[in-house]
Amino acid sequence: MTKKDSSIDPKSFLIVGAVITLLLVLVIIVGMFWTPYSPTAMKYGRFQSPSWNHIFGTDNFGRDIFSRIVKGAGNTLVIALSTVIIGAAGGILIGSLTGYFGGAVDVVLMRVNDALTAFPSFLLALLIVSLVGPGSKYSVVLALGLVFIPSFARVTRSEFASLRSRNFVTGARLTGAGHARIIFVYLLPNTGRVLLPALTIGFNNAVLAEASMSFLGIGVTPPDSSLGYMLSEAQSMVSIAPWYALSTGLSIVLLVFGVGLIGEGLQARAKEVD
Amino acid sequence: MKSIRIAVVMILVALLALTGCTKGGKKVASEANPGKTDISAHARDNTVYIGVAQDFDSLDPHHMTAAGTKEILFNVFEGLVKPDSSGQIVPAVASDVSRSADGLVYSFTLRDGILFHNGQPVEMDDVIYSIQRRWDGNDSAAYLKALNVIKELKVEGKKLDIILSEPSNEFLAALMDVYIIPKDNSELETSPVGTGPYRFVSRSVQDSLVLESFDSYWGEKGRIKTVVFKVLESADGLILGLQSGALDLVAHLSSDQTAQLDEGFNVVVGTMNIVQALYLNNAAKPFDDVRVRQALCYAIDRQAIIDIAFDGYGVPLGTSMFPSFAKYYVDSLTDYYSYDPEKARSLLSEAGYPDGFKMTISVPSNYTPHVNAATVIAEQLRDVGIHATLDLLDWSTWLSEVYSKRNFQTTVTGVTSDNMTARKLLERFGTTTGNNFTNYSNSEYDAVLAQALSESDDAAQTELYKKLEMNLTENAANVYIQDLADLIAVRNGLGGYVLYPLYVMDVSTLFWEN
Amino acid sequence: MNEVLLYVLKRLLILVLTMILVSFMTFGAFSLISGDPARTILGTEATEVQVRSLRHELGLDRPFMARYLSWLLGFFSGNLGVSFSYRQPVWELVGSKLMLSLSMSLLSFLMIILVAIPLGVFSYKATGKTMIWLRTIFNQLGMAIPPFFTGIVFSWIFGILFRLFTPGDFKGFSVSFWPSFMHLFFGAVCLSIPRIAMTIRMMRSTVISEMNKAYVRTAISRGNDRRSVLSRHVLKNSLVSVISFLGQTLAELVCAGIVVEQVLGIPGVGRFLVTSILHRDYPVVQTIVVILTFWVVFASFIADIINQVLDPRLRRGQT
Repeated sequence: MTKKDSSIDPKSFLIVGAVITLLLVLVIIVGMFWTPYSPTAMKYGRFQSPSWNHIFGTDNFGRDIFSRIVKGAGNTLVIALSTVIIGAAGGILIGSLTGYFGGAVDVVLMRVNDALTAFPSFLLALLIVSLVGPGSKYSVVLALGLVFIPSFARVTRSEFASLRSRNFVTGARLTGAGHARIIFVYLLPNTGRVLLPALTIGFNNAVLAEASMSFLGIGVTPPDSSLGYMLSEAQSMVSIAPWYALSTGLSIVLLVFGVGLIGEGLQARAKEVD
Repeated sequence: MKSIRIAVVMILVALLALTGCTKGGKKVASEANPGKTDISAHARDNTVYIGVAQDFDSLDPHHMTAAGTKEILFNVFEGLVKPDSSGQIVPAVASDVSRSADGLVYSFTLRDGILFHNGQPVEMDDVIYSIQRRWDGNDSAAYLKALNVIKELKVEGKKLDIILSEPSNEFLAALMDVYIIPKDNSELETSPVGTGPYRFVSRSVQDSLVLESFDSYWGEKGRIKTVVFKVLESADGLILGLQSGALDLVAHLSSDQTAQLDEGFNVVVGTMNIVQALYLNNAAKPFDDVRVRQALCYAIDRQAIIDIAFDGYGVPLGTSMFPSFAKYYVDSLTDYYSYDPEKARSLLSEAGYPDGFKMTISVPSNYTPHVNAATVIAEQLRDVGIHATLDLLDWSTWLSEVYSKRNFQTTVTGVTSDNMTARKLLERFGTTTGNNFTNYSNSEYDAVLAQALSESDDAAQTELYKKLEMNLTENAANVYIQDLADLIAVRNGLGGYVLYPLYVMDVSTLFWEN
Repeated sequence: MNEVLLYVLKRLLILVLTMILVSFMTFGAFSLISGDPARTILGTEATEVQVRSLRHELGLDRPFMARYLSWLLGFFSGNLGVSFSYRQPVWELVGSKLMLSLSMSLLSFLMIILVAIPLGVFSYKATGKTMIWLRTIFNQLGMAIPPFFTGIVFSWIFGILFRLFTPGDFKGFSVSFWPSFMHLFFGAVCLSIPRIAMTIRMMRSTVISEMNKAYVRTAISRGNDRRSVLSRHVLKNSLVSVISFLGQTLAELVCAGIVVEQVLGIPGVGRFLVTSILHRDYPVVQTIVVILTFWVVFASFIADIINQVLDPRLRRGQT
């Protein structure tokens, strides 16, 4: 449609993003069965700077950082995906109800939404850890999932609100379709246009948020690791072993970047379809 | 166009990052000349800047619980008696202390002419007020359990007799914590007043605490005029502060941190006087089986922990006692269990766990040394088939779940004695003791403990305490690891740093050399 | 005029209700999480009797609703309570830290506006494959960089290597201006990088969809200069959605600052919030959370008001 954007095929963003992401996923999957060194073995010498043997160097315990990143990225990926699923499921439910019905339901749920936005996610995470019990990967996923509900709710709500008065919905209502049918059969499929990119952006935020959580002391349980946990470890030794923080941080950036490009491609395509 | 410029900047930043990366840590440190601040300025002003890693809690000397606060306010407050650097208890606010032959009456004489920091003389009323505040239980935060042996306080002019209901060898040590404060004190939290060599000047939460030498101190006055304690809750901040000349002294550093300092500093190595151990919940399966506990002792290589996680600094321990309590320390217990994974495996199969088991180590996440030790332990246990994972808990959760509710399997933490008695290190393993968080229960131990606590002869009591230590080791109550090393960086030219066998920092002995 | 007043009153009521809701949620969370303030204050040497009587002293043994209501009453009468761990009035502790965090957020907000708006408008002009690729890559990279990673890198490069500030040692503006400013400046940069990228992206898509609207095409087809159409109509009309987006951003900045304050050791309200949660210092946490809520709701409120002034049509049909 736009002259500007048609000069580049949105597919190319999709392809580049998919290639980066697939490569990373491939490395992660291989890492589940094989890593160059044991990610927990502490015998390679403390604080070795990057070399051909240890391309990302070693950490304060003398562990191979590359092997740990490969293993940790897997955990990060699982946590981020589950978070997005919980956040999206909750958010879409709330958003579609409030957007479709409007009125009092809308006002109340959106205030709860505001409250959730302002509520410190750190406290929420502590709360869930207390309820679920510590040492469970699920508590982080649950906490982050809850944190992500408001943003998905907001996106879905505005889309529903703009769609509900369209002709095809009114038509469906006239033919006697119930609310549930209208919401799930007529409206929801039509929100894919905005929800799909929102899902990828959500994934990005989830990776970063899991990292922030680990950073504040809640998250995976060592000797397991995640990229976020590793980065928080790396922070205290950045002046001794800067390679630790850099390699871990840049891995996060790469992972998120790949998925972000996919999102960009999807969004550009959605616009084209429009 | 602009995005190109941004691109260039970003690439530059990335390159910078990479070149820095290849330089490595050590090099960076040596480049760091302490040039920014004129160091002699501190000497000229007769001021010392000391970095501390944790903020202070309450400044009310009877309410403070953080070890870091007690460590520093040691300079501001004194009890009737106080510790000296050799661990002896010496008179302070009292000028004279004596004990009756039956051990039931302690007599004190109030020091003549002793003044509070506000210039008021210390009266007997203040002393009584201070003791009562920690004794009668009306102020729960101030209540000191060790004072419950007091039966009566008798005052006669400048003389105070404290009459006990039963003899207690630890009573005098407990009195060190009964800091004498004026009975009229409306602002204890914000401007505390004591009798020590340094007086409180100001405090800014999460930032700093300033002390000044007290001109009318009864004893040897502090030579440094102003001491500023700067709160820097970041490891880098402390080191940078030293390198840039903003700080002159930092205690409790790790060897990784001191390695970044140049020759401008003298690193004093002491011990923290903490029994760091993998504490086991002796009531929980499988740790209720002595063979499992012994297997853990054989499976864990203490020296390797010290080498890997502490760069070789630290003293391996074999029981709940550390070497600076020389009187009570039994050296031979250290190597009672030598590292022997083979033996550990066979003990495990004997106990019915030929393939090991899963366990969790709950660690307070704010204590890096404990987290690091636990990380190495988890890796070592893998060798004998035990799959250990760490639960990182925030301090409050750890306190209530692990320490108080005893809802845990194993934990790495440090147990200490803040008043130089063996009692605090050993009494906690008695079956009925309130803070026996390891649920250790051994009838022989309980019997000896009861005997030791009621023994008034010091030598006999010491022997009984040693017996308790042996009992803990033989029954593998816990996996004792080490007494953590305490590395103190002191700027050259700053002299007089004195190590104490307990967790205090005495600034009154410091001075700038000329 | 009446209509506007009514609208403002309605929004204010919502603001107060949201604050009450959040304070209630926080209070509830604290009664559920493990860890006991009394025990945390007393430490490992405490006896059960001591813990119990301190709980009584702090009023923690009263029923939940009684505690909450007395807190709420205190709050509305201007009494924020006394910190458990410092035993000082909360306001005395929080006030200066709040100013610091707000300055960092506003500095960061300023950066976002100064960098993102011009770049956003002119990235619209970026044509050609290379430029579009560069633009997309930088946008995506910007969004992919976690603020705490930039925080670590900045404290290493500019703090440790270049000594522009000392990580973890914020001296305060009155003591030494430049290091303090640099400290806040780099904190603000960490916060703004992803948001600059998001704002540029957002502005671009708004401008593009606005340019595609019928009135613009008509204007251009009538022979008006593209540039003048862009500056006269499109920008003004895009401003509405950009302002609500910026309002949202301003609201998020204070919350996002928590992690950055942790990394760079800036003694702001975010770091204080985390420490106070860890110490189970309820009165402090309650106060900070309510302030944050106020900020979140208030920022979007202000954005709405500005929008209404810019575009009176919006006033109708708004909740």
